[in-house]
Amino acid sequence: MAVSRRDGGVGQDVLRRVGEASALILISLADGPKHGYALIQDIKELAGVELGPGTLYGALDRLERLGLIDPLPTEDRRHPYRITAPGAAALRVHLDSLERVSAAGRLRLRLGGI
Amino acid sequence: MDADRATRLIETVLRCYPARWRHRHGEEAAELAALLMRDGTPAGSVAWSYLAGAAREWLTPRPGRHLTAVACALLVAACSLGVSAGLLASAAPARAASTSQARGRAHCRPGSPGPVPGVTPATGRPQVIIWEAGHGRSC
Repeated sequence: MAVSRRDGGVGQDVLRRVGEASALILISLADGPKHGYALIQDIKELAGVELGPGTLYGALDRLERLGLIDPLPTEDRRHPYRITAPGAAALRVHLDSLERVSAAGRLRLRLGGI
Repeated sequence: MDADRATRLIETVLRCYPARWRHRHGEEAAELAALLMRDGTPAGSVAWSYLAGAAREWLTPRPGRHLTAVACALLVAACSLGVSAGLLASAAPARAASTSQARGRAHCRPGSPGPVPGVTPATGRPQVIIWEAGHGRSC
């Protein structure tokens, strides 16, 4: 999947449309392939979010359809997934976008004296 | 809930998924559920998550799934219509009875802004308040 560019060279944030679970899965896969149970445990640790198994599989299928992750050969009965190059690019764009919003929010809080 | 019942519940819920999904994820999903329950996640919570996932899976448009989505939408619409028709049918006799009572009562005053104090509805029938162009009439 190509991560297209909009005006001003800012990449389009495709992850904004696919939901928080998908972004968390990509973040979890960024340091190496994982299967479902490992993903749930890792996301619980890194973000304090307990992904339901139904949500997990829905998000995995969506990310795979978008070409952002790839299934690896099955180990036992488990399907590990890895992040693809377009997935990594989409994650970078998403994290950049979050950082911009976060910085703007902090600045406004300072300006507002809150 | 004991382990056997929980396992049966999860197996039942996983059957709600399309065959293509079960073929791909079924075994892993059952194993994942067992691991989560071993870690202390309630079986009901796992089952509910899979049930919601199955509903999403069926309702997500895919090539060749258009007819299914349309059938689901039609089923929901038919159920809504049925419920509405049932409610209307059960309300109609009560409304007719209230209207006939209204004709014979002296305290039904056009222009009254709301229900008349002290007037209680007929026993077993809902009170019907008719608002006509800003003039309330309570019977």
